[in-house]
Amino acid sequence: MEIQLLSSDKKKNKMSFILKGADPAFANAIRRCAIEEVQTMAIDDVEFRKNSSAFYDEMIAHRLGLVTLTTDLKTYNLPENCKCNGEGCARCSLKMTLKSSGPWQVYASELKSKDPKVKPVFGDTPIVKLLKGQKLELEVTAVLGKGKSHMKWSPGLVYYKYMPEVKIGEVKNAEEIAKACPPGVFEVKEGKLFVNKDELLKHDLAGMAEKVSGGAVTIEENPEEFVFCVESWGQLDCKEIIEQAAQEFESQLEEFGKLIKEK
Amino acid sequence: MIIPIRCFSCGKPIAHLWEQYKEGVAKGGNRKELLDKLGLERYCCRAVFLGHIDLIETAAQFKKV
Repeated sequence: MEIQLLSSDKKKNKMSFILKGADPAFANAIRRCAIEEVQTMAIDDVEFRKNSSAFYDEMIAHRLGLVTLTTDLKTYNLPENCKCNGEGCARCSLKMTLKSSGPWQVYASELKSKDPKVKPVFGDTPIVKLLKGQKLELEVTAVLGKGKSHMKWSPGLVYYKYMPEVKIGEVKNAEEIAKACPPGVFEVKEGKLFVNKDELLKHDLAGMAEKVSGGAVTIEENPEEFVFCVESWGQLDCKEIIEQAAQEFESQLEEFGKLIKEK
Repeated sequence: MIIPIRCFSCGKPIAHLWEQYKEGVAKGGNRKELLDKLGLERYCCRAVFLGHIDLIETAAQFKKV
């Protein structure tokens, strides 16, 4: 197995890499582990003291739940694995408070957290708008969770495609083919067609070349090579997501191995 | 009513970009260029922005039932 980094953009929270010498089952296991098993922090419980805003309590609670929180995986445990048996202690949950009165636009940055490591990733996320005389006062509990119980705990998007392998035969209408595909994927030089490999990996719609060329250009998929794309929602960075996914996969296999030995 | 915290389809957090977008549109900016600049690449996220109308200030004037 081999990994080749294609691009990494910390500002956009995006990363892509090529995975060589794997099979679809493995690639999919990694993808599913990243989306469903990697743990992140999210608000799970909201206690309203006062709410005279235009929104019902449930709507505000729902909005708060979707707010992404920076996650510190070292200090927090999953509530079900914690020593307190999920009752809620300092090692598995974090309380935050919000107090505001109108006229005012309430932002996520107004959530006061006792742990400086856990705070909203995007502070200027609008929660609700208060008119004159309207008040909002609440206490929230943030816990670690997994994407398989609610997508708010999912760390981001992970997707992959098979490595495309383009074969160009005797082409008559090179210009027409290049035009039918996303710009930059095919280049025409002196009536001949060439593939730009970097551009090819960025686009998904180059399949049109097969139709337009009438069979002279074929695109096949290599089932042992994958182009992975990782997009983080901000709780963890892209590298951490894949690392954690691999770790989760490993611990699941270990548990499986143990169970086999016991039986 | 108010801009959703996340995109309905893909789950990307988008609410923090709304005010920049709204300002840009008010100044007469091109919507496509604004969305590109904000990093909203997929058409699901773009649709949320293009179809959204802020109504909370109007709705807030009436009593909750």
